[in-house]
Amino acid sequence: MKASEAWSPDELLTRASAGESAAFAALVRRYQRTVYSIALRMLSDRQRAEDLAQEVFLQLYRSMDSIDSDSHLAFWLRKVAVNRAIDRIRQEARHDSEPLTEAAAVVGEVGDADPLLQRRMAELVSQLTPAARAVVVLRYQEDLDPVDIASTLDMPINTVKSHLKRSLTILRARVLGAAIVDDVQPSMSERSP
Amino acid sequence: MSKDFEQQLRDALRPVDPEEGFEQRVMARVAREPAGLRSKIKRWTATLAIAASLAFVAILGAYQWQERREQQGLEARRQLLEALRVTGEKLDVAYQAVNRESPPPTDDGSGA
Amino acid sequence: MNALFKHSIAILCGAFLLCASAATFAANGQLKLPNFDSLTDKASESVTITLDAALLGMATRFLDASDPEDAAAIEAIKGIKGIYVRKYTFDDDFAYPKSDVDMVRKQLSAPGWQQLVQVKSRKEQQNVEIYILVEQERANGLAIIASQPREFTIVNIVGSIDMRKLHELEGQFGIPKLELEQKKQ
Repeated sequence: MKASEAWSPDELLTRASAGESAAFAALVRRYQRTVYSIALRMLSDRQRAEDLAQEVFLQLYRSMDSIDSDSHLAFWLRKVAVNRAIDRIRQEARHDSEPLTEAAAVVGEVGDADPLLQRRMAELVSQLTPAARAVVVLRYQEDLDPVDIASTLDMPINTVKSHLKRSLTILRARVLGAAIVDDVQPSMSERSP
Repeated sequence: MSKDFEQQLRDALRPVDPEEGFEQRVMARVAREPAGLRSKIKRWTATLAIAASLAFVAILGAYQWQERREQQGLEARRQLLEALRVTGEKLDVAYQAVNRESPPPTDDGSGA
Repeated sequence: MNALFKHSIAILCGAFLLCASAATFAANGQLKLPNFDSLTDKASESVTITLDAALLGMATRFLDASDPEDAAAIEAIKGIKGIYVRKYTFDDDFAYPKSDVDMVRKQLSAPGWQQLVQVKSRKEQQNVEIYILVEQERANGLAIIASQPREFTIVNIVGSIDMRKLHELEGQFGIPKLELEQKKQ
């Protein structure tokens, strides 16, 4: 067992701030799943998600002195990850970059839930607009409440609630196959070949 | 039903691990950061803090004014975006209703 | 003239002046909105936005033209001199005074204001009315009154309105694009 695994979260933080690489590596291990998953749901591409996740941790390394506590660290990582992802998506939209060659509908391991349905839902989430996608990911992946989501995204709480309400309506209808107005970007299947 | 759907959404969005070796790749990048950078920054920051505290009173007034203006501007921007969101939301209701009442014209080739 | 007659004339003149001033107010596109301060405590959520020309100008300076949402906002507000929003949501049905909403509606009978559309949904008990102020063949004011049992919204936009640009807000700010229009294309 690594020594770092015996340290409390606050001790990890103190040691990492002091420059101990073992402590920083332990923080990476502790939060890599969260940061990578946010990046993946936002960018829908494993490679880009890994690049972004690495950049988030690099930025953390440079900013360790500004982290006050373990809870602040969790908030900071989510905020930086999701906002960087949104910036990346908008930059790519402005530069008309090549469309994704696959929607990375990656599904985590779940008991006996229907994998096809889950894949479909993950795909649909990846098609929401960046802001709506971020709200849904923070709510249903990270289990944040609307107040924390508003704080993470610097968004009015009414806007958060509006995004949640609309996104659920759209996702529910799309999953059920009903034809309603969509808050989606064109999926790969709808682009011209 | 709603709770089931939300639970399905949670299941679909379960966190996923990155590819194996992620931690090592991050630490490799961290190792390439300039040596002693963080301790140099700490010393530099301490010196700067002392110098800044001496000049603090003189610039405080101007800074606070600028800060207030920026806060006001950002708040005005936030309110504008919220106002446009509410407006669009209500226009949306009306547009949907109008489009339901007026289906697109059929092209039967009659020229009518 | 006897005292009663003079009294009646005074009342009539007062009423006429009130109507005239309300009409004048409404005729330049800006509505006189009631003071809803007492509702803020009762409401579970409230949105109160008052952006005159100066504040709109300030807001515009903080919009980023390279951001799609901000760019849409910049386009939408060109020519607009004021935006006023009052939106209240309650936990109980009809917790808001209908008379206040009716008072706003009365101003929209002033010359120049036309009702563009009224949507009533019995199922959702939602009523949405959209009015525009037309002067010299231009839309110089927009008013939206939307009411449901537990929510009412008043939007008043003053200035030169480009309905197309407001319509193009769809797809931004979490507003869905009309699938029907996409299908037509």
